[in-house]
Amino acid sequence: MKGNELFNLQELLSRQKLLICFSGPFSHSVIEELGKAVRNHLENERIEKSAIMDVFSVYVEQAQNVRNYTASRETLGRPIPANSGIVVIGKDGDHYVVSSGNLVEADDVPGLSAMLEKLRGLDKAGLKAVYKEQSRKPREPGASGAGLGLIDMARKATRPLEYSLRAVDDAYFFFSLEVQL
Amino acid sequence: MDSLRIEATSCSPLIDFDPAAGLLRIEGESYPENSFDFYAPVFGWLEEYLKAPAPAVVLDIGLSYLNTSSIKCMIDVLEMLDGAHQNGQTVSVRWHYDRDNDRALDMAEEFAEDVSLPFEILAH
Repeated sequence: MKGNELFNLQELLSRQKLLICFSGPFSHSVIEELGKAVRNHLENERIEKSAIMDVFSVYVEQAQNVRNYTASRETLGRPIPANSGIVVIGKDGDHYVVSSGNLVEADDVPGLSAMLEKLRGLDKAGLKAVYKEQSRKPREPGASGAGLGLIDMARKATRPLEYSLRAVDDAYFFFSLEVQL
Repeated sequence: MDSLRIEATSCSPLIDFDPAAGLLRIEGESYPENSFDFYAPVFGWLEEYLKAPAPAVVLDIGLSYLNTSSIKCMIDVLEMLDGAHQNGQTVSVRWHYDRDNDRALDMAEEFAEDVSLPFEILAH
């Protein structure tokens, strides 16, 4: 990357008050190492342990969602081109904000947006009810997750989940998710 | 029956199940690469063990953090034990948490809501 582009990128990142930004192929070891770095940083900030754990757990759910989705497409023999997701942790006023972005297949878009719209319309009690219902469902064979990640993030968030889905081409959309804590 | 011991890693907990003593310990943090693969031997062991367990079985849990797929696995573990309890076996849970971490207490309380076996939540 050219020097001036790197400068612009760094300037954009620092304006957002970012603690951490990672873009590239997600592996479990990357997720784990970044997670440790986030925790160490927050511990030095002397914030409450429960707040540290909220940021850490939303980060883990987002990063694992990106990785699991990408891995599942590979298993299906439809690897995602430009295999790179992004996860970002920043601060907006007093709130930590954890965001992620990745490519999703166009066929998954209606289900994903329906799920997010449903969660956005629920209050704390409604989210808990959906969480309990999902947590009692039998695990799907071959699934790498329990379908609880988005619901759990919505429960921890201090405002409804923000998301966007932008068409990249006929086959893929870029999905972004922003969780304010 | 053989004991089950899986050493802790930075993202998976210690599993230490002593069949004769009826003491089952799970301790650490849980967000392994694939939770269902990680907990598969735990489910297998418990299924066999609960056919003829020790006179009293205690599950000692000291999990400070679980990702959602590990939470699902823990719900399944607790359901297996709850089934044994409902069949008249003496089974209980002791959930240990760090008193500085409110989230760990919230989580323990949610687990306790869904089972009928004796469930103690202990602050340290």
